[in-house]
Amino acid sequence: MAPSVLVVIQNLSKRFGNAMILQDISFSLHRGDLLAILGRSGSGKTTLLKCLAGLEPPDSGQIVVDGQDVRRLKPQVRGMVYLYQEPLLFPHLNVFENVAFGLRLKKIAEKEVKTQVNALIEQLGLADQAHKAPHQLSGGQKQRASFGRALLVKPRLLLLDEPFASLDVEIRAQMQTLFLNLAKTYHTSTLLVTHDLKEALIMGKRFGLMQNGSLKLYETPQAFIQDEQTGVLREMAFWQGQG
Amino acid sequence: MRILNKLVFGGLVGLGLLPLGLLTVWALGEGWHFPHLWPKRWSSTAFLQIFSGKMGESLWLSTWISTCVAVFATAFGYITGHFVSHHPLKKWLLRLAYLPFVSSPVILATCLLFLFIKIQLVGTILGVILAQWMFAFSFAIVFFVPFWSPQMKAIEELVYTLGGTALQAMRHVLWPMSIAALRMCFFQTFLISWVQYGITLMVGGGEIQTLPVLVYFYVNEANITFAAMASLVLMLPAFILMTVNRRHVWRD
Repeated sequence: MAPSVLVVIQNLSKRFGNAMILQDISFSLHRGDLLAILGRSGSGKTTLLKCLAGLEPPDSGQIVVDGQDVRRLKPQVRGMVYLYQEPLLFPHLNVFENVAFGLRLKKIAEKEVKTQVNALIEQLGLADQAHKAPHQLSGGQKQRASFGRALLVKPRLLLLDEPFASLDVEIRAQMQTLFLNLAKTYHTSTLLVTHDLKEALIMGKRFGLMQNGSLKLYETPQAFIQDEQTGVLREMAFWQGQG
Repeated sequence: MRILNKLVFGGLVGLGLLPLGLLTVWALGEGWHFPHLWPKRWSSTAFLQIFSGKMGESLWLSTWISTCVAVFATAFGYITGHFVSHHPLKKWLLRLAYLPFVSSPVILATCLLFLFIKIQLVGTILGVILAQWMFAFSFAIVFFVPFWSPQMKAIEELVYTLGGTALQAMRHVLWPMSIAALRMCFFQTFLISWVQYGITLMVGGGEIQTLPVLVYFYVNEANITFAAMASLVLMLPAFILMTVNRRHVWRD
């Protein structure tokens, strides 16, 4: 059975002053999907995510989630967690409390919080760091805790804004694998925006390219690779030349 | 090199403490005339004035006024700083906040005096608090605008997308993260008010005798002993607050 449609975006537009940031963006996302959108800085990727999360109001267009138009809903009730480039752990809370934050907001019983958080922290490989303050963690550990905090609230859609950009190459690769495993375990639907071609290819199930506020979607990964504008072919040619 | 560093450090500490030492000798000594290196007698008369008489009254009045100014300036500055930092006209609003510092406090107080006379606030404690608050409030805005950085905004937005309300974001995240900055702003606005002279004299009309006003009163009277003791009292809380402030800043 084909997965059901989770999000439908239609003709989404956003302008800041005279600058057109988003132009008639339309796409849909299925449950459990991971759509990777590639785009340069200033192409409108972040604005797109912020419009979906309810942090920026779009000028026009529709955002339908589970059949409900969410444009007028506050970010708190949209069920979309927006993760920034930085992990943004709360400095006054330890790792356990950071991960548990979403459950605390929902006033979940203490026993349940402990069970869920400890299980996730174990999966994240942070069991021995649970009582440490964020400043005592490495960049990768911080990002893991940040993912844990987001996944535990079971968002309908996870919005990732270049989440691995601040990590070094080796840690980034580990984090990408870890995230894919977690997303599978938690059946998370994800929209990832990145300027990193390799990251888009590793993470995405479906692909899009954002240029000057317009989004181009690809039917297949092959179509994404074959399109000159994505730069995949240039990259491949470069590495083949190196070989 | 280490000895030289120690000498320089000792010299700087000595220079810093010299006025305090000199004021202490002036405040507690009597009959200190040239060419004597030391006062003839020691007396506690000026010291006892701290607990009773004019100096005691001024001490409590200054403490009361500065506490009010610091509390209200910090509270309003915290909220206004948040508003200004997220406003599209942030640069212009921030320039307005700098205005009281660009123009001299005395000139601004002269301009305000007409208004204060009209609303019958001249010569009242409320008038002095309000006038001092205007400057402390401006300082608090300038202080808090960089505090409400894009990163703080991102943290606030993150709490919203995690399901938190504005109240929950404030209570569980922004407030705990703000305590160090609030404490520092409180100390600094307290000190701004504590040493304020020109505005207090103008708006207070000479009737509101805070410690700085009293120091000048004693100086005009050529009462060196009392002037020195009042100056010591004026300086000591500033030293204490700065020490506490610095310790907390390092800790936080």
